[in-house]
Amino acid sequence: MATLTLNALKKRYPNGHLTLHGIDLKVAHGELIVIVGPSGCGKSTLLRSIAGLESITEGDLWIDDTRVNDKEPAQRDIAMVFQNYALYPHMTVFDNMAYALKNRGIPKQECEQKVRETAKLLGLEELLERRPRQLSGGQRQRVAMGRAIVRSPKVFLFDEPLSNLDAALRVQMRLEIRRLLKRLGTTAIYVTHDQVEAMTLADRLVVMNGGQVEQVGAPLELYSRPATRFVARFIGSPSMNLITLEATTSPLAKHPLVRDMPAEPMEKAATLGIRPEHLRITDPLQALFRLEVEMVEPLGADTLVYGHAAGIAEQIVVRLDGIHPLEESAQLYLGAERENLHFFDVEGRRV
Amino acid sequence: MRYRRPGLDVFSHLLLILAVIAFLFPVWMALTAATHSRTDLYTSIAPLWFGSEGLHNFISVLTEPIPGVGASASTMLLNSLVMSLGIAFGKIAISMLAAYAVVFFRFPGRALCFWLIFMTLMLPVEVRIVPTYQVVADLHMLNSYPGMILPLMASATATFLFRQFFLTVPPELLEAARVDGAGPWKFLWDILLPLSKTNIAALFVIMFLYGWNQYLWPLMITTDQSWTTVVVSLKQLASASDALVPWQLVTAMALLALIPPVVVIIVMQRYFVKGLVDSEK
Ligand SMILES: Nc1ncnc2c1ncn2[C@@H]1O[C@H](COP(=O)(O)OP(=O)(O)OP(=O)(O)O)[C@@H](O)[C@H]1O
Ligand SMILES: [Mg+2]
Repeated sequence: MATLTLNALKKRYPNGHLTLHGIDLKVAHGELIVIVGPSGCGKSTLLRSIAGLESITEGDLWIDDTRVNDKEPAQRDIAMVFQNYALYPHMTVFDNMAYALKNRGIPKQECEQKVRETAKLLGLEELLERRPRQLSGGQRQRVAMGRAIVRSPKVFLFDEPLSNLDAALRVQMRLEIRRLLKRLGTTAIYVTHDQVEAMTLADRLVVMNGGQVEQVGAPLELYSRPATRFVARFIGSPSMNLITLEATTSPLAKHPLVRDMPAEPMEKAATLGIRPEHLRITDPLQALFRLEVEMVEPLGADTLVYGHAAGIAEQIVVRLDGIHPLEESAQLYLGAERENLHFFDVEGRRV
Repeated sequence: MRYRRPGLDVFSHLLLILAVIAFLFPVWMALTAATHSRTDLYTSIAPLWFGSEGLHNFISVLTEPIPGVGASASTMLLNSLVMSLGIAFGKIAISMLAAYAVVFFRFPGRALCFWLIFMTLMLPVEVRIVPTYQVVADLHMLNSYPGMILPLMASATATFLFRQFFLTVPPELLEAARVDGAGPWKFLWDILLPLSKTNIAALFVIMFLYGWNQYLWPLMITTDQSWTTVVVSLKQLASASDALVPWQLVTAMALLALIPPVVVIIVMQRYFVKGLVDSEK
């Protein structure tokens, strides 16, 4: 159990590339934080800076009440699970898990007991004598988890730990990790670019973009009240429809729901966001716009409809429940509830 | 790959058999010659079958100082063994450490170090033999094991091979070890060394043979007969003696010189085949 505090954390690589532009984050005891963001936004860099594998250029990193900027990874009392597991190929599962304990000079007997306990927790008892290459991907992943857990560290760090597994196994391990972390009650930071993983695992979700934190909050909060246009687009799949409102030309702007919005941003080129699942078929009078259907993707549980509307440059996606035998080139009148409309100003901030 | 062509099979087997005969015939000759007395060898044509003096020849080579050389074969075998083991272990230890430094540590002049090491590849022992001799003589290491071993120990080839191997080790392994509390020495000893087993076994064989077959260097720096190595002695035996070359002793000596390299190859082969199978993934 520990808290983790990041204070204006900056990271500049030796080649001069400023990767983290000052990250502020407070992680509470036992909290599970998931970091998401597009590729190259600095998620791994942030995680590695916390681990101590990269030096921190500026700012402070606190674990509990200790500033750990200048401490070696081993002294920070963190454990890390790598994307490719990084198991020691020549050691048995037992030795892999016991290695960190041995290095800390923990007596052999205690060491063995801890490893066996952890192995039991993860269902690895049968595999203790095997080498990593004799294990399946899922088992290796589990051993990597075991190696992290066995030390009872203050903070767990995960860098896309499930991305090398197939879809079914990913779902299973996702549930298992969540259960395990809640049971151990250890503070954890988890990097992923899988939407579902992020939404289901996180106590709080951190959305990063270009080395900055865009928004921090509970997953559903981010879904229902995205603070920026970027978060709006990034969270949710298919992603939110973002419609540029040119106050004068778009017929949409004259719709009562849209007209009611704060006047000031309307003068500039503001953006209206509507999630595909919040658009529904209504009568022409209440509709926000009329969609010319261009493509239909029936998924069984729901149907994705793609198309364009007059006066709107962007392609619109609609998610309709169930099966809709729609013709291409059909026309749909679509509306939405007021609370499901998101407005962003010209800088992309929510209004 | 297999082709169903009986003609080709017969032909290739014939070729192989011929090659085997060509390679084994001299060894066979040596083997039979070593079992005859000198008189036999000089009075009849080269014998192709064993004589009766084998045991006597080998015992006398191993125990008595050999005429023209002045040391017994057992002394020389020991000298050769110490020298080649020293060179093999020394080369592996030094080049592994050098490669470790060059690959895993960031220090100023790292690239320069690597290129300097790499450039010495172009300088075989023979090229630098005069200055090296001077250095060894000034250090009073003539007629000594260190003098025979140290100048031959640095190896750009082995450093280069280790470097190439270390570069293939995933960086996450180092990071995992750091998180697990392993310092630089622990990482080298607990992780890198076991992972390099295959390479070490293969290099050991090559370096042992390199050391065993050294001729010029030990010839130059050993003036005292008790430091002569096997390979050097063969030449002296065959050319030095006053009258007739004692072929039965020369061949016995040559056979003895064959044994250690063969043993090393047979023993190490097991390890590096095992290592190859072990270390994938
Ligand atoms: N060692 C390095 N030296 C210089 N720049 C680096 C280094 N490592 C990463 N970067 C740069 O820092 C940025 C962030 O990289 P990082 O690996 O943190 O991205 P990421 O968010 O983890 O991406 P992904 O989702 O693809 O793993 C990238 O632009 C990358 O090019
Ligand atoms: Mg990454």
